[in-house]
Amino acid sequence: MFHPKQQKPSSMNSHHERPMCVQGDSGLVLTTDPKPRLRWTVELHERFVDAVTQLGGPDKATPKTIMRVMGVKGLTLYHLKSHLQKFRLGKQPHKDFNDHSMKDGERASSLELQRNNASSSGILGRSMNDGSNVHITDAIRMQMEVNRRLHEQLEVQRHLQLRIEAQGKYMQTILEKACQTLAGENMASGSYNKAMGPDISGMKDFGPAAMNFPSLQDLNIYGATDHLELHHQNMDRSSIDPFMHTNNDSMMLSKKRPNPYSNNSGKSPLIWADDLRLQELGTPAAAPCLDDHHQIQIAPLSIDRGSDIDSVSDIYETKPILSGDHHDSMGDKKFDASAKLERPSPRRMADRITNHAAISAGGITQGRSSPFG
Amino acid sequence: MAMVMDLDHFPNFSYATASTDDGCNWNYWSPVVDWEELSAGQEDFHHLIDSMVVQDVVLNQSPSPSIYQDYNNSSPDYNNSSPEYNMMTDDETNGSDDCKGLRLIHLLMAAAEALTGPNKSRELARVILVRLKELVSPNDGTNMERLAAYFTDALQGLLDGTACGGKNVPGGGCGHQYKEEHHQTEVLAAFQLLQDMSPYVKFGHFTANQAILEAVTHDRRVHIVDYDIMEGIQWASLMQALVSRKDGPPTPHLRITALSRGGSGRRSFGTIQETGRRLTAFAASIGQPFSFHQCRLDSDETFRPSSLKLVRGEALIFNCMLHLPHFSYRAPESIASFLSGSKTLNPRLITLVEEEMRSPSDEGFVGRFMDSLHHYSAVYDSLEAGFPMQGRARALVERVFLGPRIAGSLARIYRACGEEEWCSWGQWLSAVGFRPVNTSFANHCQAKLLLGLYNDGYRVEELSSNKLVLGWKSRRLLSASIWTSKDSDL
Repeated sequence: MFHPKQQKPSSMNSHHERPMCVQGDSGLVLTTDPKPRLRWTVELHERFVDAVTQLGGPDKATPKTIMRVMGVKGLTLYHLKSHLQKFRLGKQPHKDFNDHSMKDGERASSLELQRNNASSSGILGRSMNDGSNVHITDAIRMQMEVNRRLHEQLEVQRHLQLRIEAQGKYMQTILEKACQTLAGENMASGSYNKAMGPDISGMKDFGPAAMNFPSLQDLNIYGATDHLELHHQNMDRSSIDPFMHTNNDSMMLSKKRPNPYSNNSGKSPLIWADDLRLQELGTPAAAPCLDDHHQIQIAPLSIDRGSDIDSVSDIYETKPILSGDHHDSMGDKKFDASAKLERPSPRRMADRITNHAAISAGGITQGRSSPFG
Repeated sequence: MAMVMDLDHFPNFSYATASTDDGCNWNYWSPVVDWEELSAGQEDFHHLIDSMVVQDVVLNQSPSPSIYQDYNNSSPDYNNSSPEYNMMTDDETNGSDDCKGLRLIHLLMAAAEALTGPNKSRELARVILVRLKELVSPNDGTNMERLAAYFTDALQGLLDGTACGGKNVPGGGCGHQYKEEHHQTEVLAAFQLLQDMSPYVKFGHFTANQAILEAVTHDRRVHIVDYDIMEGIQWASLMQALVSRKDGPPTPHLRITALSRGGSGRRSFGTIQETGRRLTAFAASIGQPFSFHQCRLDSDETFRPSSLKLVRGEALIFNCMLHLPHFSYRAPESIASFLSGSKTLNPRLITLVEEEMRSPSDEGFVGRFMDSLHHYSAVYDSLEAGFPMQGRARALVERVFLGPRIAGSLARIYRACGEEEWCSWGQWLSAVGFRPVNTSFANHCQAKLLLGLYNDGYRVEELSSNKLVLGWKSRRLLSASIWTSKDSDL
């Protein structure tokens, strides 16, 4: 199941001006043997060290937790086990840096430093020999800087989530208002849908398809583990393109680069869940994906029920909209109206059902059974 | 131009009765020949073509299959007599798509050239446009075909003199004129779709908002003067952020002053009053202390700083969102009055979002025309890449927002040809003495994350220390920059 194709794990390396930039050339380099060996590139090792640090040092980290935190597709427990072993022994496989006297935490920091400064390993090595501690301090400072940036990125991610939700919520109020106005204008002519007439037919047809673009869920997914991300993208793409699901396999590997933040997945769901402000305000289920399994179930559920026409609103409930929760008076009614407004034509719906069926039959199970999917 | 001379007979025949012979004649000056003629001295266009044509098979392939394919429609006899062409087109659908796209570009260029070039021939332009209209429709076909349809319409408007934004219309309120033809729900649906399909709207809003947030970390009162508030969607996320900020004093009071325009008619949807009510309700729902004001622009859309009510001690921000895909066009004089007016008030921050167009220098109408074509084709491509199967959704967005934009910008280019020395508003701000404010790491980070939610082809570039640019592939589309007045302490 290994594809020799290069993948692009992105780097959390943040000492540059443009810290999030994906180091395109780094990646899993696998031999083409039947039992592929993995080349621990500098980039990959960096992520490994990041993960170990995050998990509280080499002695606390386990291959399994590291795998989750790193979130690099194609990386297996087998790879991590041996690498962690080497790492614990202080053998850094591809550099000459070696310092047994340091405590684990410090060692991690020094390795940090090493990756932060291309030439630092040499310098560090020399300075170690000199017995100077200056560079260790530097290393720690740099480590702190890295941590700070990392933290900042997580913050940004969290804020972005909230901002998108806020914007979506606001947009919803505009839509609702428009629906109300229209409904009012056309009261005399009877049926709401009919009144919308040809003007709105376009919206009815593709409204949900486009609305289904789960920008928020994407963010959540990015916070969750990689296989979820993939899985989700498969669905996402497939629901857009009925032909896509036939080649899920290649897509899984060729699709988007892993998100730079996915290696923090161990943390982010908690962070999402921590901030319940918007949720309290009535933003429905999409916002907090409390744990991975929960998330897995949410997406397919609403989609499986796509066969039921009325479930358009179910899909919508996973979106952050001003629904009945906090608009007590007329919220429900308005919500109905918007659901109606965005209801797809039967033909469109049929298409979607087929897609979804295909996905839930193929894509999802595939995603689950895949060893690293 | 030799080509033009060859075609002098064209005005005399009608396309309604186009025969196969005429078709062949038309082929005689096929895109290939055409290209040599028109591109003389304009090598720049080659990269445009490269970006639009996946394989360069087209250039050496003289009778292009798709030409015959088109003629099949008008002359069934031809169809029967040459089955081999049909087979060809079946096998090489992609090739012929590219070929057709390329041909459309050539025709558009030829039309633009005929309209304004050294050998002006309005008749020739008319003929080319007739031909183009046969080839394209705004509602179906490839991106290039739909795009060409809008450009064709825009050129037709210029040719007939019916294009809006003529010299007698100050500000060339094209956006309005077009938008009002659409039903409100269509505009709304298109707006929603645009937001979902592309990061264009959010990129500008979020980048500006992040800069504002960083500039007012310790303030208790924040006053934002918004040049073009539209439906106010930008401020929802800012309020959310203000409410959830952890450092500094508790949630600051936010005051937004929206500039309103007298006489420019209805807004795309809702009025400023509605926007104010909506924002107030939203603020109340999340516990953001908020007040909303309007400040009327003069009849010629000039901004008078004295008409603004200011309160001592509030952090003053000028927010200037220009020409996002769904925005109306605003006249340069009006924008300049706003920005220079802001300078006298010594604001903490000016946030500017504008379209990135290549500086036209001396390329004249055709050059700027081609630049627009390139620009909008990038926009079309970005929408298509994000939603390949949502043709109707895209068609709506194109019809409601992009089509009118194309018509408006071509009209302005046409009008301004040879007169206006164009520069970006960022350059302008810098020239009149505003100081750049660095974009923060967080801001850059946010933009990257945001784009990560959309298609792979979007890129964010830090073009200068205070400017983030959103691009599609190699084409820059939209930039957000942050400025301050010189005396400010920031």
